[in-house]
Amino acid sequence: MSTQTLDAFQVIADPSRRQMLMLLSKNSMTINSLVENFDMSRPAVSKHVKVLYNAGFISITDIGRERHCVLKQDGFNELQEFINYFDKFWLKKLQKLKNILDNKLKK
Amino acid sequence: MQKEIKHTFYFTQTPEEIWDYLTKPELMEQWLMPSDFQPVVGHHFRFTNPNNTFVVCEVLEVKPFTNLAYVWKNDWAVTKTPYTSKVSWTLTAIEGGTELLLVHSGFELFKDLVAHNSGWVFLCNKLGELLKVPKK
Repeated sequence: MSTQTLDAFQVIADPSRRQMLMLLSKNSMTINSLVENFDMSRPAVSKHVKVLYNAGFISITDIGRERHCVLKQDGFNELQEFINYFDKFWLKKLQKLKNILDNKLKK
Repeated sequence: MQKEIKHTFYFTQTPEEIWDYLTKPELMEQWLMPSDFQPVVGHHFRFTNPNNTFVVCEVLEVKPFTNLAYVWKNDWAVTKTPYTSKVSWTLTAIEGGTELLLVHSGFELFKDLVAHNSGWVFLCNKLGELLKVPKK
């Protein structure tokens, strides 16, 4: 299976990938050190890392022979936008309610 | 990362008048959406979005003229990205009217995340600290 690009929600839907993000929220880690924390093969871990990378959740830097993974904000921004959407939604609705009630008062 | 939405609005009307607009479908429809809401705890109802999709809800709390809360989730039968959350309304009589507080919270993305909520909260908190996401 080739590494497809998933949206932010699909990315965090996977428990292993969430676990990886949590590990990385404590410290940046090499792929090898990530592998030690999972009961799966290195290629399997690499595949998840690639998914996280493609969706902008992490950046990867090669230092010597090691690949270092660090959290990145882009992926999380998409999740934040979801919350922002509702923020605007309610503000609009509440303003509408206020207009209705204010107009009622004038009558 | 911001995890809940809060808005406070002030009205010159009484809590009783505002309550009607939060609980009577014919009045709710005027500013929110059409629904088959009933102010009964445990009542399942749906809001109909303008594009004919549904917000699937269940009443959690009804304290007349004071508190109202319901589950707010999208239609898991048709969506690829299910989420669930909670909408709660608090009305407080103040001098010259009513303070209305809306809190939309408990955003849990994906059914899977419902079972892993503590993890999600932990992650969000950690990230908030780490990334210091600037509020737009």
